Amino acid sequence: MRQHLRIVRALMRRALNEILRVPAGAIPGVLAPTIFMLGLSSVFAAAARLRGYHADFRTFVVPVGFLQGAGFSGAATGVNLARDIEQGWFDRLLLAPAPRSVLLTGIVASASMRALLPATMLLTVALILGVHSPGIVGLLLAAGLVMTLAAAAACWGVTIALRFRTQQAAPLMQIGSFVAVLFTTAYAPHRLLSGWLQTVSDANPVTYVLEGVRQGFVGSVTWTHTWHAMLAATGVLAFFALFAVRGMRRTGAE
Amino acid sequence: MTRAVFALARRALRNTFRRPQFLTPLVAFPSLFLAVNVGGLHRTTSLPGFPVVHGFLDFQLAAAMTQSLLLGGVSSGIATALEIEGGFFDRLVASPIPRVAIVLGRLAATATLACLQVLWFLAIGLIFGAHIAAGLPGALLVVLIGAVAGTGFGAIGVMLALRARNASTVQGIFPLVFVVLFVSSAFFPRDLLASPVDAIARYNPLTYIADGMRDPIISSISATPVLEGLAAAAAVALVASTLSVVALRTRLREA
Amino acid sequence: MAAIETTQLRRSFKGGVHAVRGIDIAVGRGEVYGFLGPNGAGKSTTVRMLVTLLRPTGGSARVAGHDVATEPDAVRRKIGVALQDAALDGLMTGRELMELQATLHGIAPADVAPRARRLLDRVGLAEAQERRVATYSGGMRRRLDLAMALVHEPEVLFLDEPTTGLDPVSRRTLWEEIRRMKAEGTTVFLTTQYLEEADQLADRVGIINQGVIVAEGTPAHLKAQVGRPHLDLTFAGDEPDLERARDVLAGFGDHRPATEGCHLSIALQDGAGEIAPVVRALDDAGLLVASLELVQPTLDDVFVEKTGRHLEGAAQPPEAAEPEAPPAVVT
Repeated sequence: MRQHLRIVRALMRRALNEILRVPAGAIPGVLAPTIFMLGLSSVFAAAARLRGYHADFRTFVVPVGFLQGAGFSGAATGVNLARDIEQGWFDRLLLAPAPRSVLLTGIVASASMRALLPATMLLTVALILGVHSPGIVGLLLAAGLVMTLAAAAACWGVTIALRFRTQQAAPLMQIGSFVAVLFTTAYAPHRLLSGWLQTVSDANPVTYVLEGVRQGFVGSVTWTHTWHAMLAATGVLAFFALFAVRGMRRTGAE
Repeated sequence: MTRAVFALARRALRNTFRRPQFLTPLVAFPSLFLAVNVGGLHRTTSLPGFPVVHGFLDFQLAAAMTQSLLLGGVSSGIATALEIEGGFFDRLVASPIPRVAIVLGRLAATATLACLQVLWFLAIGLIFGAHIAAGLPGALLVVLIGAVAGTGFGAIGVMLALRARNASTVQGIFPLVFVVLFVSSAFFPRDLLASPVDAIARYNPLTYIADGMRDPIISSISATPVLEGLAAAAAVALVASTLSVVALRTRLREA
Repeated sequence: MAAIETTQLRRSFKGGVHAVRGIDIAVGRGEVYGFLGPNGAGKSTTVRMLVTLLRPTGGSARVAGHDVATEPDAVRRKIGVALQDAALDGLMTGRELMELQATLHGIAPADVAPRARRLLDRVGLAEAQERRVATYSGGMRRRLDLAMALVHEPEVLFLDEPTTGLDPVSRRTLWEEIRRMKAEGTTVFLTTQYLEEADQLADRVGIINQGVIVAEGTPAHLKAQVGRPHLDLTFAGDEPDLERARDVLAGFGDHRPATEGCHLSIALQDGAGEIAPVVRALDDAGLLVASLELVQPTLDDVFVEKTGRHLEGAAQPPEAAEPEAPPAVVT
């Protein structure tokens, strides 16, 4: 067990290495959610005049940025794995006498940590601009949900990377998290959505994760929203982790 | 010259369609954005100050087109940069064609692609219930403005590629695309934008391009927005094309 | 117990591609086994199966006493692998990569740093260990790759074309290292397309072609099987009458595929003593010989004998190649 933890730590260190040593490569991913938040809240600010928002549009949409950051981090992890596969580095990982699930955990855990970078940037800018702080409990909950969703997005990215074995599959990884995060109550409360989007958001577990992150910003943290969000986040992670583990185990069998 | 431009344009188009991973950002992302914006914010048409429209989808189509055309410009730049990195660009320079044909061929392909992009959004708009108020002439005007604007954005991409010489630098301007889009009236009426975005939008050519494409869709053709749209698109195309030719000459001089 | 043992090992891919068609190999402990074959023969596929990166579709293989299909983890614990492309992370330093590799292979934390230092010193990278790998030359990358393969003191070492693309000095350094490992009792499975390398280093050689082993034995034994030296002939004139030359030479030995740069080649029945009669016979027939070369049997001759064609890379590795310049720093 201790050896497995060491391997996970070593792989996380390597992944974070890349951000520290090539910061220019990481900056777009770190800044993008903040840019989106600023842009959307500037463009659609007037929408919050409609009944149902219970907050200004910027406050309403900040949680979307957190989840977008989680999605970007997950997709970036998938792209990095695809690059490692193309360059042969992944073979080296596969040669380690460690269970495939441990290797996967190391790869995916780095996405969780990485997701905290855009989230921190976004939160800082949001608070400076006057967005209501969700408090310590709300922030801790948000951090946990963001990290869990980032891990789920990374599992999706890993599955795609193992299937296609090329960085050219990057758009497929990005679209997955894009759809998951935006086809929710991202831009408006449920009652203001059009019919089809209401149906889709009801069926989309990420809606519950979003509402779990949002609750502290627009009001107070409640147990109902919280456990719904946690269940949804862990469910999404478990679902995509299954595919990712299967992909890791089947590598070399095809 | 014409033959060279045509041949290079045909090649660029063929290569684009052979690489679906380059097509995806042009069409898929803006389409998904369109769906989410319309599905999430369709009630905003009832806000005081919102222009009279058949539906929010009618309003948003121009935003999706503008976004798609901008991303098409970046893709053009990436494709050019890959040609430079891969050495194919040098092969073209060494061939007995007018050097400017290298840029014009790429721009001709971009213009053709821009028409297809605009037609795509007009088609899916119609399928999902949008209404082109100005009918066929209006649709043709939208395609015209889109083609000119797309050419301009493509020229910006080509210019960046000639200066940067590598694809990852050109790719790095993707976030800037969204920044420029957000500080315009592409997504929402200018009068309803928050400050200071509403002030910046006044000076942003994307505002006039998007409004120019929007006008024939949401109302009958009005001279002012359409002409402003055409003028803004033409200005961007002219300036950017000139700069890209200058960048080409500079690069060839340095080689 | 053999260090590597395969029984009718097979691998097929989708689309009916049979890359390896049932091979039987037995490599003893402490042996250096050279594995030769042209591109596409099934070398890399065989190696990837033996190192558990690819699952066999038929037959079985045991490495270091464990089955590659049912006990892959146990196999990975006992093998070291340096694949054809030295897959290294350019953003990491040599020391960081060594320590990561040590961690992945379960080396105790207290032992990770000392072992990494020791191995980097052994392969001559002590001074460069804090530099990022992106700044290393090709030779340095291969040496680091080898050091990483040795970090957990494997029983069996797989080297897939370890010296391809290296300058002569780097090649010799790597050869010395392989000899040293053999002296230490490590079994080495070496794939190469350089015959001289196999000749110099291998205790035994296996030749694979189109997915099957076509010859196996010590280099000396294989060459002795071929037995006869051959004569490479180049004729004067723009269009010499090669048909007539073939008829004349038929009485002196068997024709064989001509080596690059010459017109005809025959395996002499009675050895070097036949040279003078050959020249006289050609002269009598009015065929002017521009040059001739007597060539002793090589492993390429073995290959030609078994498959009817030359092994690609049968030409000597480039002796006059410039040492590789360090690649540009990648950011």
